[in-house]
Amino acid sequence: MTSGFGLGLRTQHYNDFLAEPQPVDWLEVISDNYMVEGGKPLAMLDKIRAQYPMVMHGVSMSIGSINGVDKDYLRKLKVLEQRVEPMWVSDHLCWSGVHGRNLHDLLPLPYTREALDIVTRNVEQAQEVLQRPLVLENVSSYVEYEQSEMTEWEFLSEVCKATGCRLLLDINNIYVSAFNHDFSPVSFIKGVPVESVTQFHLAGHLNKGDHLIDTHDHPVCDDVWDLYRQALLHFGYIPTMIERDDNIPSLPELIAELDVAREIAREIAREIADDVLNKKIAL
Amino acid sequence: MKLEELQNDFQRALFDTECKSADWISKSAHGLSARDRLDIYYNAYRFRLIDVLLDTFEHTAIYLGDDWFKQLATEYVQTHPSTYKNIGLYGKDFPAFLAEQLADDMEVTELALMDWKLRRAFDGLDSTVMTQDDLQQLAGEGASIYLQAVPTLTMCTQHFNTLDIWNAINQDQTPPAVERLPQPIDMLIWRKGYSPHFRSLSPIESAAIGCIVSGAMLEDIGAKLENDFTDADVATEFGLMLHRWLEDGIICH
Repeated sequence: MTSGFGLGLRTQHYNDFLAEPQPVDWLEVISDNYMVEGGKPLAMLDKIRAQYPMVMHGVSMSIGSINGVDKDYLRKLKVLEQRVEPMWVSDHLCWSGVHGRNLHDLLPLPYTREALDIVTRNVEQAQEVLQRPLVLENVSSYVEYEQSEMTEWEFLSEVCKATGCRLLLDINNIYVSAFNHDFSPVSFIKGVPVESVTQFHLAGHLNKGDHLIDTHDHPVCDDVWDLYRQALLHFGYIPTMIERDDNIPSLPELIAELDVAREIAREIAREIADDVLNKKIAL
Repeated sequence: MKLEELQNDFQRALFDTECKSADWISKSAHGLSARDRLDIYYNAYRFRLIDVLLDTFEHTAIYLGDDWFKQLATEYVQTHPSTYKNIGLYGKDFPAFLAEQLADDMEVTELALMDWKLRRAFDGLDSTVMTQDDLQQLAGEGASIYLQAVPTLTMCTQHFNTLDIWNAINQDQTPPAVERLPQPIDMLIWRKGYSPHFRSLSPIESAAIGCIVSGAMLEDIGAKLENDFTDADVATEFGLMLHRWLEDGIICH
C-alpha cells in the first residue's frame, strides 16, 4: 500500500514530469487513454512510470451493465496493467451502455438487490482477469431511481462484502450527489467500511444553483475541503489525489492545490494525535 | 422494473430526438424535475461526442466554421450511436457521413479523411524502422527481400487541392479556394517517431508503395514498375524512392 499525495497524469504536464522530479508521490493514469496500440501515449507512459509509482483509473469498464464486462476490454486492461504494474486498478460503480452501445458516461445504478447481484458477478469477472481486487469509485449523479431499495453507501458496502473489492471515495462526488439528492454527505462517509477505502479523489464542480455538476474543471471548493477533513477524521490517512480533467492549470498550480490537501492531512493527524494523547492522560 | 428494462429505457432516452421525462426517475421534492435531471445526461452525451469530433477533425472544423461543423456533428451524433469503448474512435464514419451530407463539397470529406488518418497514425502500432545499414546487410545475405511498411502507413487519394487547404489551416492562414486537380494525387500518411507525417506521392511511388503493402518481393516490385511505367527510368527512380523511404522511416523489420 502506498502513501502520499498524487495527481492525475495529463498530457499538458508530460514535459514537467520528464524535465525534473516533481513533488508528487504517485500519479494516476486514465487507463483508457493508454489502451492504444503505440506511439507517444505509451512512450510517455513508460518514461514517466520509470520515475513515479502509478495507479490506474478507468472510465469504461461499465461494471454495472446487465451485459457483463466486455472481455476484450478486460484483456486490454490486463495488458496495460502488466505494463504499468500499478499499485491498484480502479473504475467506477456505474454503467456506460448496453447491447454494444456506449454512452461514454458514468451512469448511476439503481441500488437494488438485483443490481447488487449483477455488479457482484461483474466485479468477480473483472477480478478474475486482473488477478487483484478492483477498486470502485462512487460516481456523482443527477438521477435517483424509484426502484432503489438501499442507499448508495449501503450498496457500496454490500459490493465490498460480496466481492472483496475496495473503494475509491471521490469526496467531491459525495458532495455533488448529496447536494443533488438531498442526503447527508457525512452519512455516506460514515456508511462505508473503513477498511475498504483505498484512495480519495478531490475535484471541483460547477454550482448551477439548484444542482451541482461534476465538471472537474474548477479548484476544490471550501465545502469539499471541509468534507475531506471529516473523511480524514473518520478513515484516518488515505492516499489522496486532485483530479482535474478540463481547464487544466499549470503543474505548479495543481501542486499548490495538492499542498492544501497535505496541510489539511497534517492538521488532522495532529488533531487525532492530540485526541489520543488527551484520552491517555485522562486515563 | 428489472435492471435490464431500466438500462434499455435509459439508453433509449439518451438516443431519442428530444429529452423526455421518465417514470423510473425518483420524484425528489428537492431541486430539479425528473426531466431536467435526465436532460443533464442527454446533453452531456451529445456535448462529449461533439467535443471528440471537434478535436479529431480539427482542420475540418476550422474549414467549415464552428456553427456549420457543430450542426453536422450534432446530426452525426443523433444518427450514429457510439459502439466504441475508446471514444477517440467515434469519428470513424464521420468522413463518409460528410460525403453524404456535402456531396457537392467533396474537399470537406477529403479534409476529414486526412484529419482522421493522421489521428489514427498518432497512436498506431509501434515498429522497428529499417535503416540503410539493415537493408545493405539483408542484400548481402543474398536472400529475397520483402519490404514491410510500418503499421501506421496508409494512403488516400485527393481529387481537390485539399492538401493546400489543410496546410493553410494548419498555418492559421486563409485557405485557398477549392479547385479540382487535373489529376488525382495519392497521399501517404504515417508516423515517424511520435509525429504523424504526410506527403503527396508521384504515380510511380504510389504504385511502388501499393506493391509493398500487398507484400511483393523487392525484385517483383521493380519488374512491375518496369512493366507499368515504360517511359520512366525505373532503376534510378526506384533507388531514389528506396533511399527516401528509409529516410522517412516508412519501412520496418
